[in-house]
Parts: sequence; structure tokens; C-alpha cells
Amino acid sequence: MPTLTQDRLWSEAVILEAPSRVLRVQSTRDAFLCLKNHWPLAEGEAKSEALAVCDRVIEGADEPDAARAAFIKAAEEAQFRVNSWTGS
Amino acid sequence: MAAHEDRSIRVRDVMSKQVFTVSPSDTAQSVARLMEEAGVGALPVEAPGVGTILGIVTDRDILTSVVAQGLSTSTAVFEFMTVSAESCEEDDSILLAAQKMHDYKIRRLVVVDEKKRAAGIVSLSDITRASPELGGLVLGGISRQASQSPPLEGVS
Repeated sequence: MPTLTQDRLWSEAVILEAPSRVLRVQSTRDAFLCLKNHWPLAEGEAKSEALAVCDRVIEGADEPDAARAAFIKAAEEAQFRVNSWTGS
Repeated sequence: MAAHEDRSIRVRDVMSKQVFTVSPSDTAQSVARLMEEAGVGALPVEAPGVGTILGIVTDRDILTSVVAQGLSTSTAVFEFMTVSAESCEEDDSILLAAQKMHDYKIRRLVVVDEKKRAAGIVSLSDITRASPELGGLVLGGISRQASQSPPLEGVS
């Protein structure tokens, strides 16, 4: 579990749409919390990878854009419609 | 507990030291997710990259200023936070902190260091644990004032 007192902001927000839900995520900590607590898939390869990348980014071992890209892949795996200006 | 004992207990002795902060551009929904994970109802808002505390956002703010108003959960924190929230310092006595809570009708204070960065949060329940008599006095005062006028910020 990363130190959630820290966060790493993204340059652009990612908006995930599913029937009757919209998740707006613009930071690594929030992406981690979405994946951990509010995700429709209990397990998934991309989800596991995204959690690991978020962990690394929050600890300062990787760049925020890496977490953003991994989060978008996990969202696609979970069948969310992904909206972002810059894509992955 | 006698007042002189309350004066000897410092805020740092009773405050929560693990501080989760949010940025003004965070959204109501991301703040709510962090509150759920951290098990808290109030989060200091800090300037990203600087760390200076700009204000505070509470679960009550989200309910009353976002949900009840019919605003989007993507509403940014800076649109509904309490700017320049009252604060105290680690070396302050709990008596002083309790006095501020009473005067401003609030139940939490951000504890800041000499650079105005968040060092912790002290709540009325923290003070009540250390001094039930003092906590009861503040709670009684807040309740009486609340029945006469609206609160200055979230008191949940």
C-alpha cells in the first residue's frame, strides 16, 4: 500500500463513463483509490499493472504520466468508455 | 479537568499527525474517495508544489454545497472549500484550540507549522478525549450558537 498522504497530479484528467456512472480522475492517488475501492472488475491483468504503477508513482519511482497511461488501459479492460484529450 | 491542566496539554499531544491533503483542483468525488479511504471527514487544501494551506474541505461541504445544490461531482474543490480556514499551531494549548472552535463554531482545526504547512488536524473529539469537561463546554457552546445562527463551515 503506497503512502496516500502524497499525490502526483496528472497534466490532463481522464473521464470514465459507464451506464449510470462517471468517474473523473486527475491524479495518481485518486486512480489508485478508484482501482482499489470502486472498480467493476475484482481482478484483471491491466488493473493489477495499473495498481503497481500507481504505487511506484506515488513513491516517486516513476512519472505521473505512466500511472495515467496504465489507468487508461485498466479502464478499457473494465469496459469503461474513456474520454481524455490526450489519450494514453 | 482543571483549566490549568488544559493549558499544559499541547495540541501536538492530541492531534492526528497523519495528514491527507488535497489540491484546489481536485474534485468533489475524488475528495470523497480519499475521505472514505482515510476515514476522515475533513481535509486541508494545500497549494500544489508549495504546501501552504489554503483552506479546508469537509464532508458537509460536499453534501451542502455540491450534492444539495445539484452541482456535478466533478466540481473543483476551490469552488466549495472554506478559504483560509482557522488554524492553530502544535505548541498551542488545547484550551486555546478549544476557544477557537467555540468562537468560530467549528469542530476541527488545521494544525500548521511555521511555514504554514499542514502538521496535523485537531478535532473536538481529540480535545474531548484529553479533557472531557473542556470538550463538553465547547460542544455545548457550539450547539447553542448553532440554534441561533448558521455555522461558518462544516461542523460534521
